[in-house]
Amino acid sequence: MKFLVNPSKFNEMADYLFRPLLILSIILFAIGLLFSFYLSPDDYQQGSTVRIMYVHVPSAWLALLTYAIMTLYSILALAFRIPFGFIFNTAVAPIGAVFTLICIISGSLWGKPMWGTWWVWDARLTSVAILFIIYLIIIFMNLSFENRVVREKVVAIFILIGSVNLPIVKFSVDWWNTLHQPATISKLSKPNIDPSMMTPLIIMTFAFILIGIAIAILRIKTEIISRKSYLS
Amino acid sequence: MLIVKDLSIERLEKRIFENINLSLSPGNITILKGKNGSGKTTLLKAILNLLEPSFGSIYWKGKLLKKNLYDFYNNVTYIADTTSSLRKLTIKDNIYIWKKFFISNINDAQIETALKTLKLDNYLNKKVGTLSFGETKKLEFLRLIMENKKVWILDEPLSNLDEDSIELMKQTFEDHCSKEGSIIFSSHQNPGIYVTEEINL
Amino acid sequence: MNLLNKIFFFYYREYKLNMSGIQDILTNIIFFFISIFIFIFSIGPDKETISFIGVGILWTLLLLSSTLSLRKFYQDDFENGNLLIIHLNGFSFGFISILKTFSHFLFVQVPFLLSIPIACILLNIANDKLFYLFASFSIGSLILSCLGSISSSMNLMNQRNFLLGSVVVMIFSVPVIIFSVGIINMEESFNSLINILFGILLIVFAINPWASGLCLKLSLENN
Repeated sequence: MKFLVNPSKFNEMADYLFRPLLILSIILFAIGLLFSFYLSPDDYQQGSTVRIMYVHVPSAWLALLTYAIMTLYSILALAFRIPFGFIFNTAVAPIGAVFTLICIISGSLWGKPMWGTWWVWDARLTSVAILFIIYLIIIFMNLSFENRVVREKVVAIFILIGSVNLPIVKFSVDWWNTLHQPATISKLSKPNIDPSMMTPLIIMTFAFILIGIAIAILRIKTEIISRKSYLS
Repeated sequence: MLIVKDLSIERLEKRIFENINLSLSPGNITILKGKNGSGKTTLLKAILNLLEPSFGSIYWKGKLLKKNLYDFYNNVTYIADTTSSLRKLTIKDNIYIWKKFFISNINDAQIETALKTLKLDNYLNKKVGTLSFGETKKLEFLRLIMENKKVWILDEPLSNLDEDSIELMKQTFEDHCSKEGSIIFSSHQNPGIYVTEEINL
Repeated sequence: MNLLNKIFFFYYREYKLNMSGIQDILTNIIFFFISIFIFIFSIGPDKETISFIGVGILWTLLLLSSTLSLRKFYQDDFENGNLLIIHLNGFSFGFISILKTFSHFLFVQVPFLLSIPIACILLNIANDKLFYLFASFSIGSLILSCLGSISSSMNLMNQRNFLLGSVVVMIFSVPVIIFSVGIINMEESFNSLINILFGILLIVFAINPWASGLCLKLSLENN
């Protein structure tokens, strides 16, 4: 597991993994899109718009997951002085921002026919919007500091403070009575979703995870190389 | 008192200087010489425990500096190359605040003579922002005298001073050394100040 | 005794500095009132509407005008090296940040607190709501001071993008706004909401010395 904290080990592993990951994610995307557009039934209430869910839900999960992993790496980097954490944070923040943006856009595309409006000031939507702004601030911070040592540590501190938003996003549907529907799939109880809809959702989630990892590998490798050229 | 052993510092994984050895005992003056960007300020900051040294260690009174930090800070005055006097306030206010904040045991008569020798006694009610650069620099030395500590750490104290003031500085340094004090200062040239140790960076 | 003396003269120094630049504080207040005027001009001087949305406007403008002066929170002391001198005189960076936070509260937020009654007259807010407004703002402004300390210490080394500090404060002040405006509009649940605000204050107060102290140390190291 050393490749998760060591840049040179990560490089070796990345060369080994990148191509299979990319191919696998493309195949999964093809299958998943096929399933979600043609091989899954319409919802009896939402009709055909339910298919937006197959993009919306995986991207929302991944937006949260990316931030959680960034928080973990910030703790590693600040407390245990593992510089790979800083590299990871710089590289991965835009990916998380894009996932959040996909989540927001697909959500409001779904909201227009279902709720009759693009945007509602509901706890879930607002907290996800704040998550997006936090991602943006992280990216801007990465762009606007001149001193690298200060920049990466300040960004790590900011990520740690901003992580208070994660539980708010996750539990907002349980804590407040909101328009957004509560989670249908949770670990503790049996999922109340039909298997015919479950299959494309799971396939799409894995496709998103794999494409996310593939892009992250590319970006982390670029970041490592740019640091090396900066040093010499 | 202060011993620096095999100190090396890396910033952004670039070696700035390596294997600096330095020992400072009461009555000593050490000069750090070097070109711009050779790491004089960095070394002074490392001595003040603001920077983590990559290799090597610093000792104060026989203990590691980190373990003995409070005592070290009670005995040291640092003057950076910025003007630390508050620009919005008059010289009088500045002196009053310093005197109270440092809990200095210098009395008013001593301060007055110091002001007279520095030729600042006519500007007492002037705001620091209106003074010239050399005069604010002199005000920094007044702080040095008021803090009344054993170890002086000075960053480029001689830049922007005229010859009379440099002569005055020499006098002050000798006085301080005769009172068992010790000084580290950085400069790119030495205008004839008697030093016991010279370190080239 | 020494420590108390030093703390007292730290505040004496802050007092002197703020009094010599008192026009800065007054400009903040003027900004606050002028933005109230502009709000009223843009909505129209209808009494009902104004008193309905007045509290929200008041809180928004208080937040905006108190983030205006954030730039100077640590910047002056950082640039002229006073932060380092205070640190070398035996104050840890975390402790400096606590002292500075209270200084910001005293010299920037308290003038706003004092000008709230006049703003209430302008915005037609009923007198019985004044107490709730005072209670929520005195806690909320301490939270804002803590957040301001964190964000401005983060942005000390940021030479290009000055506005980022205000954005950081504003994004974290969303819960403060929600609960403190809630206090005024839902008076029956005053106790529970003010307890939530207290909870936020304690959390922020605990984070503040750690985060600001670390950022101050970082900036001084790499300056």
